[in-house]
Amino acid sequence: MIRTELKRGTAELAILSVLERQTLHGYEISRRIAQDSGGALSFTLAALYPLLYRMENRGWVRGDWETSETGRRRRCYKLLPRGRKMLAPLRAEWADLFRAMRRVAKVNHA
Amino acid sequence: MPDWLAYVNDRLGHLAISQAESSQVREELAAHLEDNYLSLRAQGISESDAVRLACDQVSSWQELRRDILAAKLEAFMQNRVSQLWIPGLVTLFGSAALLAVFEIVGLRPLVIHPGNPSSLVFYFPWLLSLPLFGALGAYLSLRARATGLAVHCASAFPALIMAAALFAVLLVALVLDRHGSLRIVTTAFAAAILNWFLLPGFFLLLGDWLLHFAMRRHAAPN
Repeated sequence: MIRTELKRGTAELAILSVLERQTLHGYEISRRIAQDSGGALSFTLAALYPLLYRMENRGWVRGDWETSETGRRRRCYKLLPRGRKMLAPLRAEWADLFRAMRRVAKVNHA
Repeated sequence: MPDWLAYVNDRLGHLAISQAESSQVREELAAHLEDNYLSLRAQGISESDAVRLACDQVSSWQELRRDILAAKLEAFMQNRVSQLWIPGLVTLFGSAALLAVFEIVGLRPLVIHPGNPSSLVFYFPWLLSLPLFGALGAYLSLRARATGLAVHCASAFPALIMAAALFAVLLVALVLDRHGSLRIVTTAFAAAILNWFLLPGFFLLLGDWLLHFAMRRHAAPN
């Protein structure tokens, strides 16, 4: 249970963080997260979309269909004000978790 | 390049959501696989390996279908609350509170055939206030992005609740009073349906219609 919640929390923060910078479609979101984390975090399609749909239900993000110059239709996700508000508490929670793990398990930042 | 939409359609199976939503999900997943495949090909990976690696994005399509449905169902439940239950309950409690106020201040209904099971009760001041509550229910439902039947149900919610309650009472009466006159029970039920379902329902839906009419007028150019 904790493992699932932890993974979901990581994913939510990662997705909100990349969308804070720009609007992206699903594949770009996963690629950007993998790139920014140096490959440490990677989301498969199966992990990404159910989570994106949940975040959309909560009003954190909104997906709109856009057609590129090449004629491809992609659903691009935009961060909404409610999602932006979630960023600060999520970041604070993760900072607390890192501090706690540093004390308990002697885990240090790289 | 593989037909990724056909690939997704083959594996995802039936999604118990609206046709439009299901098509969007399928198109989005197919687009993701296509982007993944093209990116792998651009890195110089062979076609067969790129297809295999893209397909590895989903280890269990059954699990993915379940997860997507769970996420969509969460939205459905949230929407039902904000589009139907909250506007409906506001309409119900608002109209019931006004009826109670009318009773307290002594406004009496016009009763035809008083004391008779088929007596008709016309609470004119209350009935005339119902379009306001009907419009309020419809407005709150529309504001929560509801469409179609959900808006009308939110508007006519008090009448629908009364109809459900009357049917429950009728069933109980028929079960408990088997030797009573069926004609009296059904006549009383028909009168109650007219008094508490059809008439209030008409005035509530009138408010719904007036709101839609005003919105159309407002939206129309000139």
